[in-house]
Amino acid sequence: MEAAGTVRVLHAALVQGGMPAAETYCHVPPDSSIDTVNHIAALFREKNCDSLIALGGGSVIDTAKGVGMVLAQAGHDLMDSAGCEVLPRGEHVPFVAVPTTAGTGSEATLVAVIADPKEQVKMEFLSYHLLPDVAVLDPRMTLTLPPRITASTGFDALVHAIEAATCLQRNPVSDAFAEGAIRLLCRNLLPAVANGKDKAVRMAMANGSLLAGAAFSNSMVGLVHAIGHALGGVCHVAHGEAMTILLPAVMAYNLDKCRERYAELLLFVAGPEVYAATPPAERAQKTIDTLIHLRRRLADLTGLPTTLSRTGKVQPADFPAVARKALNDGAIIVNPAQADYDDVLALLKEVWA
Amino acid sequence: MAYGSVKCCLQCATCSLVAGCLCRALKFLSQKDSRVKEEARLWPRGKTLRLEIPGAKGFTVTASHQGFQKLPQDTPGDVTIRFKSPADAFRVFTGQLSVAQAYAQHRFTLRGNMGLAMPFVRCVDIAEGYLFPAFLAKRILKRPARKEVSTALVYLAVLFGGIVPCLPTMSSSSPQSSCRATAPWSTSPTS
Repeated sequence: MEAAGTVRVLHAALVQGGMPAAETYCHVPPDSSIDTVNHIAALFREKNCDSLIALGGGSVIDTAKGVGMVLAQAGHDLMDSAGCEVLPRGEHVPFVAVPTTAGTGSEATLVAVIADPKEQVKMEFLSYHLLPDVAVLDPRMTLTLPPRITASTGFDALVHAIEAATCLQRNPVSDAFAEGAIRLLCRNLLPAVANGKDKAVRMAMANGSLLAGAAFSNSMVGLVHAIGHALGGVCHVAHGEAMTILLPAVMAYNLDKCRERYAELLLFVAGPEVYAATPPAERAQKTIDTLIHLRRRLADLTGLPTTLSRTGKVQPADFPAVARKALNDGAIIVNPAQADYDDVLALLKEVWA
Repeated sequence: MAYGSVKCCLQCATCSLVAGCLCRALKFLSQKDSRVKEEARLWPRGKTLRLEIPGAKGFTVTASHQGFQKLPQDTPGDVTIRFKSPADAFRVFTGQLSVAQAYAQHRFTLRGNMGLAMPFVRCVDIAEGYLFPAFLAKRILKRPARKEVSTALVYLAVLFGGIVPCLPTMSSSSPQSSCRATAPWSTSPTS
């Protein structure tokens, strides 16, 4: 119903602009697959469409990126282009992304994750050609997002920004995006959860999510995402919830390598007054403590789980499989601190209860 | 221009040489280092990984419970890591950059499933811990792996094509003496 509401808003805008949609596809599954992508691409050709609009969360936008790849590479096997920076430009298909959550930042990233059911793997595509041409941020699209999803997707965006600001791939451009994102998200996440109808707050969250997406698109994410992806793959833990559970523990794990950077981030996480009042040697830990406090307040307001046991989807017996999968996630390579199987296992035990 | 060409040729030659050494080291370590051995054991059956360096000799490998195996030069890879230039590969192969740093700096492209490349990257990190001097390994690796085999033996394996019939492990009680008794290179030429 909610999806239908946002679709109606989009259709009305398109009709008003004299450009009605030739076809609408509303059955994108939570995990996009090459089959869905191929089906939509065939529909696109059949209806003689000339451009793509993705209205939805990360899965919908990634699916649209996949469709764009199939259309651009006309006749080629999409799976040949899986990997990093190997996708040729091909034919350009205009692509507009309209996010309906403030979390994935997919509207501003060069990444798409699409499953190959035959091989039973999720393929990662990284290419500058995947970036949408236009991202439309409209607070009307997130006004009806429930508080718990607002909280978990917002925390996901925060993790994008923090990992982008601290991983091996960070650079001045990603730092600028990440710091802007952290400031916006930390100021507006609780108000967005408390009053979802506030358009200004929703817009700030949408901007924060986009900036966080741009940050990790110019940098990368790290260990929180590596373990989070594995928890999603093995135990079907919702991505935002996994991020919420893992962030403080992974920040503590990375503390020795990131102490200086975490200290700098306190300014954006807690504001100038707290930053100035905190002795320099304590700022890094204060950053982590502030995020733990934010998470606790979100949990109190929405029931968001803060431990793996509370998700109801994970058992300690799953930890070895999760740890093995996390080690093969590309995000782990740029995490500032080395993490091996035993380290990941220890982190999983730490966030269990 | 001429200087540039000579420099490029030297870089390509170095990369070819070090790539060969790395391959031999991996083959050897997948027999003797428990972590590399385990990575090889868990390697998806029949999957291949190809390393390409423009202007230089790369390699294609696969792995099994028998360890890493080098495949013929023209074998395609299920995953292909291709350095963007000989200079990029040179920096990695001479210990100026780790694989993680090279990835972070977009110095290579990766075609295929990244999940298959990750075990290889972990093995390369372990191999670099043996092959590079400690100060270099400490500088580029996030946490140089603990050595389970003598570095000298890894170098010998590299010289002898990845095969050393008998070797001590760092953890065995009196490894050096038992190895000396049987290893061919320890036998006196006159005996």
